[in-house]
Amino acid sequence: MPPSANIALLQGTLDVLILKVLALEPMHGLGISRRIAQVTNETFQVKPGSLFPALHRMEEAGWLSADWGESENNRRAKFYRLTKRGQRQLKQETDNWSRISAAMAGALEIP
Amino acid sequence: MQRLRAIWRNLFRKHIVDGTLDEEIRSYLQLLVDEKISAGADSETAQREAAMEVGAIEMIKEQVRDVRRGAFLESLWTEVRQSVRALRHNPGMAAMCALMLALGIGASITIFSVFEAALLRPLPFRDSNQLVELVETRLDRGMDRVAFAEADFWDLHDRTKSFEHVAAYHGNEANLTDDQPEKVSAPQVTVEFFRTLGVAPILGRDFSADEGSANVAVLGNKFWKAHYGGNANILGRVLRLSDKNYTVVGVLPAGEPWIDDQVYLPFPYHPNADRGSWEYSVVGRLAKGVKPEAAKTELQRLAGLLAAANPKEDKGIGFEVLPSRRWIAPDSTSAALRFLLLAVGLLALIACVNVANLLLARGLARQREIAVRIALGAARARLVRSVMLESLLLSTLGALLGLGLAAVGVRILRLVEIQGVPRLDEVSLNPWVLLFTVGVTLVTSVLCGLAPALQTPVQGIVSALRESDRQTGASRRQGRLRSMLVTAEVALAFLLLVSAGLVMRSFQTLLNENRGFATTHRLMFSVSYPESYGENGRGKQFIDSFLERLSTIPDIISSGAVGVRPVTGPNYGMGIEAAAHPLTAGSPPWAGWRIITPGYLRTVGLPVVRGRNFNETDKPVWTERGQPPPSHRTVMLSNALAKLLFPNEDPIGRHALLWKGQGGPEAEVVGVVGDSLERGLDQGPALTVYLPYGRVGLPSEFVLETRGNPLAVVPSVRAAIKRLDPNLPLADIRTFDDVVSRSVSSQRMNSVVLVTFSGFALLLASLGIYGVLSYSVSRRTSEIGLRMALGASESSILRITVGQGLLPAILGITIGGAIAALLSSYLKSLLFGIQPFDLSTYAAVSALLLVTAAIACFIPGRRAMKTDPAIALRLE
Repeated sequence: MPPSANIALLQGTLDVLILKVLALEPMHGLGISRRIAQVTNETFQVKPGSLFPALHRMEEAGWLSADWGESENNRRAKFYRLTKRGQRQLKQETDNWSRISAAMAGALEIP
Repeated sequence: MQRLRAIWRNLFRKHIVDGTLDEEIRSYLQLLVDEKISAGADSETAQREAAMEVGAIEMIKEQVRDVRRGAFLESLWTEVRQSVRALRHNPGMAAMCALMLALGIGASITIFSVFEAALLRPLPFRDSNQLVELVETRLDRGMDRVAFAEADFWDLHDRTKSFEHVAAYHGNEANLTDDQPEKVSAPQVTVEFFRTLGVAPILGRDFSADEGSANVAVLGNKFWKAHYGGNANILGRVLRLSDKNYTVVGVLPAGEPWIDDQVYLPFPYHPNADRGSWEYSVVGRLAKGVKPEAAKTELQRLAGLLAAANPKEDKGIGFEVLPSRRWIAPDSTSAALRFLLLAVGLLALIACVNVANLLLARGLARQREIAVRIALGAARARLVRSVMLESLLLSTLGALLGLGLAAVGVRILRLVEIQGVPRLDEVSLNPWVLLFTVGVTLVTSVLCGLAPALQTPVQGIVSALRESDRQTGASRRQGRLRSMLVTAEVALAFLLLVSAGLVMRSFQTLLNENRGFATTHRLMFSVSYPESYGENGRGKQFIDSFLERLSTIPDIISSGAVGVRPVTGPNYGMGIEAAAHPLTAGSPPWAGWRIITPGYLRTVGLPVVRGRNFNETDKPVWTERGQPPPSHRTVMLSNALAKLLFPNEDPIGRHALLWKGQGGPEAEVVGVVGDSLERGLDQGPALTVYLPYGRVGLPSEFVLETRGNPLAVVPSVRAAIKRLDPNLPLADIRTFDDVVSRSVSSQRMNSVVLVTFSGFALLLASLGIYGVLSYSVSRRTSEIGLRMALGASESSILRITVGQGLLPAILGITIGGAIAALLSSYLKSLLFGIQPFDLSTYAAVSALLLVTAAIACFIPGRRAMKTDPAIALRLE
């Protein structure tokens, strides 16, 4: 297991990551978890204990919607997709993050 | 919408949510197992590893449930917590705001709850808006509301088509002799009375249509409970009322006080009823779909027919239809309550302005924090929302405290106000009052929060961040805004103070009016006579021996009796004219008539200014049954009436025509009595005809002049009357002072309430001025230090700061004065003896506000004066 797996997720980070990976296609829980690991070069390993609360919270906020469907190997699974509101949220969060990361990079003098 | 659905699902379909959640996690687990197997693990290892990786399923479910439950409240809750934290950060300010709002809201609730009970709550009758009161008018004689003559009622009753029912009511009293004799209210009503009101008896039955002459009675609820302990076996019981027997046939439900505490007797149809004596109250229930205006048109047509048929009595007759709402509160009371509601609105507004001001000042101090939050990406809407939320929290706190204050306020009102406001005992915290409270809370929170919310910086975040918090353009703009709020507040306070001053002065004027009669050390009580006292001179015998007995009681200086209680009694009147030369211009004056014993005038302190008092030779003007008419009738006139009837001549020995237009007799004027405010303190000198008492004229209101406390003689009076006739009850025992005091209780309530409110307003306004100025002084410390370092004297610093604080106050006084002058005509109906634009009141209020403002300015001004330049400059 890579040492970076212990990095605690910054608040709001998980949300924006979920939004980002769902922007491409609808996915079920495990798929989301795997894709996040993949796009962050295994930096973030999302456990079900944080994944499910996040998914449900975002569903209730109206960013995601969910339907039951068949997985690639014909298992029943709940698939999440991005709503219009979720797309807007993603855009806003992305802007925020670029501002913050630029600010942080500047402050910490990362070249 | 989606959110609502989610909440609904979470709250009410929890098991379904849990079921799908469980399924979802299991499917996740299954997918994980599949993944591991396809990576080469055997089924058992895959199962174990997957289970370990997922962890405790129940725990996950619990976490999800937490999120779900919280998701809705979460954002709101954080904001509330933030606001609470912000308020707790500055507890002094929060408490101050909440207290000020509590004052404003509490006062509003108090007045509204009284208003609601008195004016908004409907009558306890079916379709009470179809119920109306009918009165006769004689507009040609300047009378727009007089009671009905009996014959006019029956004519109307038989002919009108606009009404489902009409009924007449004739107030009456009777002696109930059960064990202890008691005077009770026993009105006579036509048999349709309760059907007209829409009241059905809870026990027994209503009067039936043919029962007009029957000896039956219906009891009011309170009467039934008070006299018979609510005994359900009351039906069929025989009551002895003024020496006649009546059988109880029904009991009414509990209702308005005036329908509650009496026993009702029917009165019959008289084919040849009297047309000249106006004594009957008439109520009508409009037929379905008939508007009051339509009914009035029909009644006018009937009036024309009546006038044509009875030219002698019904000349100039008309009818008026009045809403039944007036039965609860007379017009003057509702006008007063409306005004108080307005006044309390002003007070609440002042409290809001003050709180807005405090929040503004606080917002200014937090400007940098807010700028930082905006820079970090906080949405402006969210910042505005948080200010509004704070103001809502403060208002809610204020409203909760205010409800407590209102409970106290209503209790105090009950102490102050005795008679004028109806249903004061029924004032309660009902849904209407609560709704009002919620409404006021929302309005105040918007009013308090608006200015501070709008001042959150729009642009200039950078400058706000960079600035040293002092001497910024923005803060100067806010300084102006805050000064404007102070101006508004002072103007509002001015309005309240002026109306309080005017109402208070008018009340004083009212109390200081020359009443004519003397009220201290006077006792009043009434006796009601059974019908047998009207025969064979029994009544006169009783009065004579009773007065004689009273004169032997050592503490009684003098005694007398009169037909109607002064100031508060009903007014029996007549048209009167000089017999020799009728007034050419206008109609004959309408004067009240009072039967008196010779001792009455001396006892109430009324002087005989000309001629002589009555003595034993003067007999009543009426004819006793079976006797010839009196050969010589005598009367006394009040001074004002004598001057009106006999201008420029000596009235003594002249003759006056009594009951003009009703065929009344002539009588000789033997004396002129000093004027008095017999019809109420605000009614001016009454026109009164005094008639001698006798066998057919029995005055029932007794007045005693006593040494010391009037109430102390009551036991001796009771003993005296008991020796003469054990069946005669004493009623309405009061001192004359008390009678007068009760007659002005609504004016007293107005002035007490308004003075209290304006005291609060003054306090709030001075706090506002103080707050603004002390804040601006603290911000200008360095400037002041600089000035002092450059040689400014302490007194010039004081002058500058006080001047700065006084300016908005003076502006406020000017604006308030102008508005008050514009609105003053509105107050006119509430005032007595002074003009709405009373210069001395305006001047006094201006001076009071100015002095208060000066004191409020002086404290921070002095602080500025004591500034040490060295320290002040170092702060920069």
